[in-house]
Amino acid sequence: MSKPIPLLEQIGKDGRVWADLCEEYGVDNPDPPWRITLESTCEVLNEGACVLPSLERRDEEDHIVEDHYKHIPHPERQLLALAHTMILRGVITEEDLAQHMKVIEARLNAV
Amino acid sequence: MSNSHDHDHRPPAPMVDEVSDFEVLEVAVRELCIEKGLFTQDDHNEWTEYMHTLGPLPASRLVAKAWLDEDYKQLCIDDPVKASLDVGIDWINTMPTKFGTPSDYCNPRILVDTPTLKHVVVCTLCSCYPRPILGQSPEWYRTPNYRRRLVRWPRQVLSEFGLQLPEDVEIRVADSNQKTRYVVMPIRPEGTEGWSEDQLAEIVTRDCLIGVAMPRADRKADDKRPIHRAVHPFGH
Amino acid sequence: MSSNHHAEKATGIGDPQCFKGEAGDPKFNVGDRVRIRNLPDIFYTRSQMYLREAEAVVVKLVYESPPAEDEAWDNTDSPEWFYSLLFKQADLWPDYPTKFAGDTLETELSERWLESV
Repeated sequence: MSKPIPLLEQIGKDGRVWADLCEEYGVDNPDPPWRITLESTCEVLNEGACVLPSLERRDEEDHIVEDHYKHIPHPERQLLALAHTMILRGVITEEDLAQHMKVIEARLNAV
Repeated sequence: MSNSHDHDHRPPAPMVDEVSDFEVLEVAVRELCIEKGLFTQDDHNEWTEYMHTLGPLPASRLVAKAWLDEDYKQLCIDDPVKASLDVGIDWINTMPTKFGTPSDYCNPRILVDTPTLKHVVVCTLCSCYPRPILGQSPEWYRTPNYRRRLVRWPRQVLSEFGLQLPEDVEIRVADSNQKTRYVVMPIRPEGTEGWSEDQLAEIVTRDCLIGVAMPRADRKADDKRPIHRAVHPFGH
Repeated sequence: MSSNHHAEKATGIGDPQCFKGEAGDPKFNVGDRVRIRNLPDIFYTRSQMYLREAEAVVVKLVYESPPAEDEAWDNTDSPEWFYSLLFKQADLWPDYPTKFAGDTLETELSERWLESV
């Protein structure tokens, strides 16, 4: 079983999944707006540089979800699994990701 | 942001008014990838735009057209790429890559059900799916539970989807492990005599095109599916 | 897994269409009985474990293409014929209920995976 990644564990624990947000705000879109951009990210990682070829990523996604994110719904689990794979493979670091998230959170929440 | 008193008194559509950690994470992963040169923003935008165009309607129309026209049905069998063009889908040229998507390729195949032959589609290896004509795959299709169980216990899985078939109907599981992408053409149900192509297309839902449901004159939407965890221990 | 080299070849034509004519004569024809060889997997395979050693009937010659095992390493030099194969479920799974003896499974494999019965 692969090691958990604290940053992602935290998000999995505290993050609000789309189903909950929909219920609170009375929205009935089945998917969050970022679902398609996530699919695109997986797609462009597959072509060109072949950083993360599809078959391997899907297989890893299955294992990572089973090990760490099985209590989390889709598509949140796919997002966490992708981030997890990329950190495991050294494509990005947990620190970089945490840092970047702070910047983005500030940006998205700026009034 | 005050509402003006104009003639339109409908309340604004509800929207989610907070930014979740997941939304932030998605942006962060994407932007880090771009920063590291793994792909460009332009490439990503192209894919996002393309993905937004995808959905099951073209495949529904393909089946409806085939039900009404024997020649078109034969075309679906003989030349599915051409048949797809007739419902507005170009497997080769409209993709961002201009030669088909790396995951979907350009070899669609239409599996024609008969009263004694029922097809159902899976990709055991990774959940390949005919996205150009059917859109994004449903979550249950991607789960190890579905992928591992459908090939081995198809009748059990289908009955969990509410579909039970007699012994004299052959159930044929199509496992799309290579470059072919399958779409099921189910048999036309009773109670649809005299229907137009539009009316027929409405009852050919995504689940019917995967093969886990059969079209019914009284059903225009797929049932919601719970996600099951795999029963057997992971890894084989 | 598209390299630039592959993209040039396939643009406007499609994949696997771009490999048409490159695999030579097919070794098997529709109706032939074959057995699935249990070749050693090095890293990457698109030939499912549950098919190995089972028998099937060729139902369609679907296209020519580099086999996935080669394509994974960007080797597109030796396309093979790909066959759609029909298996009886009873031949794949020892516990498949006998009353559903008509049930089948169809899937594709490249020529290297097949031997005559």
